[in-house]
Amino acid sequence: MNDLPFLDLTLFLPLVGALVMVLIPKRWEALLRLAALVVTTATFVASLGVLASFESGTPGFQQVTELSWIPEWGIGYITGVDGVSLWMIMLTTFLMPLCILTSWTIKTQVKPYFILLLTLETGMLGVFSSLDMFLFYVFWEAVLVPMYFLIGMWGHGRRVYAAMKFFLFTLAGSLFMLLSILYLYFASQGSAAAPTFDYRSLVGTPLALEVQILLFLGFFASFAVKVPLVPLHTWLPDAHTEAPTAGSVMLAAVLLKMGAYGLIRFGIAFFPDAARLLAPAIIALAIVGILYGALIAIVQHDVKRLVAYSSVAHLGFVVLGLFVGTIQGMSGGILQMLNHGLSTGALFLLVGALYDRRHTREISEFGGLARSVPVLAGIFLIVVLSSLGLPGLNGFAGEFLVLLATYQSYGWWVIPATFGIVLAAIYLLWAYQRVFHGAVSIEANRNLEDFRMREYVMFVPLVALIVAIGVYPKPFLERIEPSAKQIVRQLNDASVIPETRGLAEAP
Amino acid sequence: MQGALTSPVDWHAIAPELVLTAFACLVLVVDLFLAERAKWLAMPLSAIGVLATGAATLSLVGSERTTLSGSYEIDAFALLLKGLFCVIGFIVLAISFDYFRSGIRYQGEYYFLLLCSLLGGLVMSSARDLVTIFIAIELISVPGFIMTGLRKGDPKSNEASLKFFLFGVLSTAVMLYGMSLIYGLSGGATRLDRIREAIDGSGNEPLVMLSVFFVVVGFGFKISAVPFHFWAPDTYEGAPSPVAAFLSTASKIGGFVGLLVLMFKAFPEVADIWRPVFAVLATLTMTVGNLIALKQRHIIRLLAYSGIAQSGYILVALALIDPSSPGVSRQALESALVYIAIYAVMDLGAFAAAVAYARRGGTYFIDDYAGLWQRSPVLATLLTGFLLSLAGAPPMAGAWAKLFVFLATINAQVYWLAVVMGVNAVIAAWYYLAVVKRMFFEAPELEGPVEVPYFLRAVMGVAALALLVVFIYPPVITELAERSIL
Amino acid sequence: MARSYFSQYLTIGLFLVVSVGLVMGTLQLARLLRPNVPSYEKYTTYESGIDPIGQGWAQTNVRYYIFALLFVVFDVEAVFLFPWAIVFERLGTQALIEMVIFIAILALALLYAVKKKVLDWL
Repeated sequence: MNDLPFLDLTLFLPLVGALVMVLIPKRWEALLRLAALVVTTATFVASLGVLASFESGTPGFQQVTELSWIPEWGIGYITGVDGVSLWMIMLTTFLMPLCILTSWTIKTQVKPYFILLLTLETGMLGVFSSLDMFLFYVFWEAVLVPMYFLIGMWGHGRRVYAAMKFFLFTLAGSLFMLLSILYLYFASQGSAAAPTFDYRSLVGTPLALEVQILLFLGFFASFAVKVPLVPLHTWLPDAHTEAPTAGSVMLAAVLLKMGAYGLIRFGIAFFPDAARLLAPAIIALAIVGILYGALIAIVQHDVKRLVAYSSVAHLGFVVLGLFVGTIQGMSGGILQMLNHGLSTGALFLLVGALYDRRHTREISEFGGLARSVPVLAGIFLIVVLSSLGLPGLNGFAGEFLVLLATYQSYGWWVIPATFGIVLAAIYLLWAYQRVFHGAVSIEANRNLEDFRMREYVMFVPLVALIVAIGVYPKPFLERIEPSAKQIVRQLNDASVIPETRGLAEAP
Repeated sequence: MQGALTSPVDWHAIAPELVLTAFACLVLVVDLFLAERAKWLAMPLSAIGVLATGAATLSLVGSERTTLSGSYEIDAFALLLKGLFCVIGFIVLAISFDYFRSGIRYQGEYYFLLLCSLLGGLVMSSARDLVTIFIAIELISVPGFIMTGLRKGDPKSNEASLKFFLFGVLSTAVMLYGMSLIYGLSGGATRLDRIREAIDGSGNEPLVMLSVFFVVVGFGFKISAVPFHFWAPDTYEGAPSPVAAFLSTASKIGGFVGLLVLMFKAFPEVADIWRPVFAVLATLTMTVGNLIALKQRHIIRLLAYSGIAQSGYILVALALIDPSSPGVSRQALESALVYIAIYAVMDLGAFAAAVAYARRGGTYFIDDYAGLWQRSPVLATLLTGFLLSLAGAPPMAGAWAKLFVFLATINAQVYWLAVVMGVNAVIAAWYYLAVVKRMFFEAPELEGPVEVPYFLRAVMGVAALALLVVFIYPPVITELAERSIL
Repeated sequence: MARSYFSQYLTIGLFLVVSVGLVMGTLQLARLLRPNVPSYEKYTTYESGIDPIGQGWAQTNVRYYIFALLFVVFDVEAVFLFPWAIVFERLGTQALIEMVIFIAILALALLYAVKKKVLDWL
């Protein structure tokens, strides 16, 4: 059982599915939907195999596959999971079938839509599981293309603008990352026999501090755009708002995590000294992000835009956790990545459900919906509460750990961060109140259809997971912690004093 | 000289050229005896000729030999490029078929000229002698002048032809002047290896510099590097589009091959002189090409400017060459070869799609690409594939082409050039995506489906598939390139 | 070496100056020596003793360019043929075959011209 390469199976099932779907005639829309659902569910099952064969308590990479790809450049196909990537992979595969289900309402261009979604899944999973820097970069870029089309073709309103902005922002960031990766590749020539892109050999490459800072900033440019950290966030509200529901879910739940994941896996692991040095600045940015995102969210009159800005705030917590330099912070940050994926993903799905019923996202167009759609309102409430970190639901564990760690390492810095939680309560509950409570002022809101079977299927597992993590986070944390511990050790271990390999002068 | 005249010729070594020459003549003669309705048969005949040339090239694989007393060399480098020229020729033929069959009277002459120009490319791949290089570059260009003007009734075509001709002649004159200086300097040597020996340690720096400068400027016109690019967009726009496709690939690559061979074989000892020149040229070419491309509304002009920008990346490889560290030079040359090969296929693909669309229910204006996805999903998908590849995005081979140039640049520790390339890649992505955006995100303004001829569709499909395969398994091309180092 | 290289150009330059000077000098000298009696007859264009008729601007039929082209074809052929003929005996059969190919290609051009009816006048 353990011999089955579950990880690679998970990685390529969606792509194979997409290729098969190319052969299905585009008129058979029902079959296409069903096929997409079957493929993503099968992928989820395969990823359960990854989870089952994951050994908790060990920090290193597991289930590693190693194949040669371009041997002369030291580029290989290397994949593996550890505690950091495991939950990201699970999150992706778990949310994907839900995205397919919520896309049942897509009526135009069904075939390319599902094919792009499946390709996107392979791209995202590839980002989380590749252990070869080149492979990572290729997947990183590969995610861009399907997302660009998803936003541009099936989005709303200013979709074209949003799609272009998304693409160019991310591309610009990732090119700096590429330069850093390539520099690292040649720097590894010193420590290894031949230069390599293998992540495991690259970690611990000795670099002079000023080189570390430059390279770190190269990676940071790419990841900070993706996370996003203020002031590089401006693509996010546009992209999230204009994307179709499934696209918004994937953007918020997974694509943003790619940035945070990159910061952990590469930013901190490759350049611990630079990360340590720059940590206060990054933490400051994170706190600014928390407050800024929350304050902007309060004044939004578009539900989806509100959720989008709440992501800016929540991801601020994640980055805060990653850089405070303690195990609680790191574990909390990683757990918060998972939680934000679930909660915000669920919020976008719910906003999508509202949009399908009313074809508007303006808060003022709603009001008193709790009477016509009680189930939807109830689930919305649970998700809102989880998003603002109510104890007993998933959001609490992560945010609590992050704040605790911030207090331990940075003292009073925790105050503005905590204020972010209060603000979250304000914008989320206020929006909830305006949408679901009060008098029904608009006739169209009176007789809305409540959840259908398809939607029950979507939300029951989501809510179950939200509650499960809130009540019993141990199985999640115990798989995260060994890896978190190792990364924190790398971050704090100042003994890695580099042999100087400075930036040589350009001719 | 007596020896040169009587030395036996290695007929097998020049078999590809002979086959192509024979077919070119055959096309010309057969065309004379064909009825007006049957003139299109010249195209299948030419295609057979190109395939036969390819076969002759394949029969030489694995052999290394020189003939014509050292001025003609068959090695992996030459064979790779000959193969590439055959591929280019075949794709251009596929693009031309529909275009010339309906509309232009001079079909037979066109195919004859095309084969002649292609022959120039084949000769260039093997030329290791100043005179041979000169003849090759002229053999590529001169038929090009005529092909550009084939749409006699169209003033734009005439303008294009005249511009191309004047700039071509000017560049030839400049190049020839440089070459004559070299000839004088090296004491009457024309073979590149002799020139290299003569220049090395001749202590004649200013003159060597001057002659290299003239040669580079001459080639700069041929490869339309900024600031010698002015003719290119007008010429491409006015020329029959398949000819524009040919000029932007075969003709340009011919120039690059000549430049690579000269710089590697004749002037490596004075690399310090010309390396910065290429760095500046590369920067200018990339940046100016991209910035002007941003404003284009005509797809052929867009491809022309983007092609200018793309050649900047190949120039980067020339700016990295350093005889004192063979590893860096090797990698630079390898990346240039990979780039050339991938560029040829993806650029031709984009041209093919543009021609197919303009001929079947569309125009050349980018605005009219709106909603192409709904009118012809196949064409829109293929064109998107080629444009993404040109932009250097996965999942197409263009990503690797750019990555290898980056890799070589970082290895040579020329970081500023890498940053310039990075910024340019983003600018380029903008205008490529602008076309994609129109095709997919906007509603169609023109009506009716777009039916691409089956043959052209098949060729485009194979080209796109090839780019995809190279992306998935790049050793297909990198190993070839690695073996083909000069 | 550079100096000697340039000094060769100097020789050419001197040669140019002297040759141009010689021509100009002779013309000026003639001007000084000859009598100067202008008349209408002397100022008309010289056309072998016949009185000039019409404008100096005359048009030629464009179709002559084809003859010019064909003339170049065979003119160039001759340029190659003469040196070849001189050393032909020493070069042997291979040279013969090569020259036959060369002439055959030129013959193709002629064939082309004939089939395109450029030799049919009007």
